[in-house]
Amino acid sequence: MASVKLEGVTKRYEDVTAVNNMNLQIEDGEFVTFVGPSGCGKSTTMETIAGLTLPTEGTIEISGRDVTNLPPKDRGIAMVFQNIALFPHMDVYDNISFGLRLRKYEQKEVDRRVEEAADIVQLTGMMDRMPSEMSGGQRQRVAIARAIVRNPDAFLMDEPLANLDAELRVHMRTQLQRLHRELDTTIIYVTHDQAQAMTMSDRIAVINSGVLQQVAPPLECYNEPANRFVAGFIGSPSMNFIEGEAVADGFESVYTKIEFDPAMQGVSTGQEITVGVRPEDVHLERNVDQVGEPTRAFAAVVDVIEPVGKEVNAYLLFDRDVEASAEGRGEGQLLINLEPDTAITEGDDVQVVLDRENIHLFDRASGDAIGHSL
Amino acid sequence: MSGDATDGEVVSETDPAVDIAEQAATEEPELDRGIVEAWAARMISNPQLAYRATFYVATIFFLVTTLFPFYWLLVLALTPRNSLSEVGVFLPAGFNPGAFIEIFTTLPFHRYVFNSFLIATIATVAVLFVGSLAGYVFGRLDFRGRNPLLLLVLVTSFFPPAAFFIPLNRLFNMNVDVLRPLISAGSLYNTPYAIFIPLSAIFLPLSIFILMTFYSQIPDGLEDAARVEGTTRIGALFRVIVPLSAPGVATAGVLTFISVYNEYFFSSLMTDGQPESWAPMLEGILRFQGEFEVLYNLMAAASIVAVLPVAILVVVAQEKIVSGLTTGAVKE
Repeated sequence: MASVKLEGVTKRYEDVTAVNNMNLQIEDGEFVTFVGPSGCGKSTTMETIAGLTLPTEGTIEISGRDVTNLPPKDRGIAMVFQNIALFPHMDVYDNISFGLRLRKYEQKEVDRRVEEAADIVQLTGMMDRMPSEMSGGQRQRVAIARAIVRNPDAFLMDEPLANLDAELRVHMRTQLQRLHRELDTTIIYVTHDQAQAMTMSDRIAVINSGVLQQVAPPLECYNEPANRFVAGFIGSPSMNFIEGEAVADGFESVYTKIEFDPAMQGVSTGQEITVGVRPEDVHLERNVDQVGEPTRAFAAVVDVIEPVGKEVNAYLLFDRDVEASAEGRGEGQLLINLEPDTAITEGDDVQVVLDRENIHLFDRASGDAIGHSL
Repeated sequence: MSGDATDGEVVSETDPAVDIAEQAATEEPELDRGIVEAWAARMISNPQLAYRATFYVATIFFLVTTLFPFYWLLVLALTPRNSLSEVGVFLPAGFNPGAFIEIFTTLPFHRYVFNSFLIATIATVAVLFVGSLAGYVFGRLDFRGRNPLLLLVLVTSFFPPAAFFIPLNRLFNMNVDVLRPLISAGSLYNTPYAIFIPLSAIFLPLSIFILMTFYSQIPDGLEDAARVEGTTRIGALFRVIVPLSAPGVATAGVLTFISVYNEYFFSSLMTDGQPESWAPMLEGILRFQGEFEVLYNLMAAASIVAVLPVAILVVVAQEKIVSGLTTGAVKE
């Protein structure tokens, strides 16, 4: 068990900066997830912690020990890889015991530990199978057993579930959580899937373009995103953004007007700001009594309806003339989350209100959050 | 071939249960065709026959051209020395298996073979070890100047080996005081080093190239996993990358072994030809050629004996290579 501390970690390749001045303190026994879009530097950050890549600048400490220049084998960590990376020429026993045998443990101790690890991931009785004879989930469990058998100070998991099918992924997700509870070890987990990040972690570290955006518990990232990137990345379906300008009595965009006191929110008149509101915080005006503090209603047209079973997602256009953008939600579009039995059809004219308590304000130039409720 | 056609006719005439289609087919040869024409007609109506015929012709051709020299060596070896002038093409003029014993009694030929075997083994081990390190660097690391450096390594193998001979011979004949405790004469001439050092260097680039292509195909994740589990980079190379590249390693090893074992130029010039001076098997064979007489039957017998170790090695290794390739293919 160990704490992990990154201080000013930067990794520059010839033409790109993969990780930029990363500062992060991970506590003993914590489950921290690095999340971000592909190529954001989350895997590179993990590789610098593992020692597979040396950072260009900065220091890495594990349990208060500076390991920046130590080789991976001396860092007391274990890693589970995205492509599972079992040694194809060794059977399950040899794969799991590889690290122990390298460290010259006694045969008895090796056997005992391998058995224990195999027990935890429910692999007993498969010791002499070759990786090629196993299913994806079994291989993944072998990889996890290989990691836990050495009792490492910290686990690094680089998208360990990415190559599994959807059903198995959900199953392994709960297994990993159970594992974390049983072992009580520090786990650093990398994923681009924010659903995994939300469900498993104690804290999420959201990374974009090599820069740490926010480190906070999942719900805090969801309810109080530090900036526009986090707001858009966390949550599915993602947040609606409306670009506009602060005026004397609130916010004004081409299609909407939301009244509030700019001074209270710390915005100056004329400042370009973005309003963010999650699809579940947009309501039809006829249901206005469900909303604590509704905004003034504004008109929209139903463009597309997507029933997903437990809810209905409806894409609204503020105006019939707005062109639905081909790439994501554009200006003038609004996604709304409705009860499955809501009477609504495509082409309807509707009035919608926003829940003032869950309206986020962002500075448009910097993207930083200004406030999370009006 | 034409015999088959007539057989078919005979069968159809004698067998009462023959069906109409077959009768129609047998009617055709009634056209007045020559043997060659009839044969060609059969080939056209049944091209499979033509393919099979060509296959056998080609196979027999290659088998004869590759195996006949060995057979001819055997014929020579079995022919008694005084009947050598009467030897035929296919049969020995007499039967004298004693030649295979004589080669060991007139000369310590086993020592020559042992010398060669040892030199080839050391060279193979050295080439595989150095080649693995170089192959790892060229195949798996990305660094400035990688391609020019690789080209430079490969270029050395394009040089004619003769170009290296004079400087190397001078060098190996030089007395180096430092070596005196190790080598009695203080020079490398007449030692196995004089042969295996230049030959290893000459055959190294090819092995580097083969190993490089194999090592570069091992996924990075496996090496990372090994390093996290507790190996160094070099440990990961020899515990994970090399075993997974077994077919490539076997190929490079067999090629190097055979090349060094069979090599003529350096082998004949870097020693004085005495078995105690680590002269290789080739020198042994040439020793049967005296000033007044050439003992062709003994030379032939010695050649056959000398080929045996390599032949066995190739058969064994080839099985490994093939099995390695197929298991790899199934796993993916």
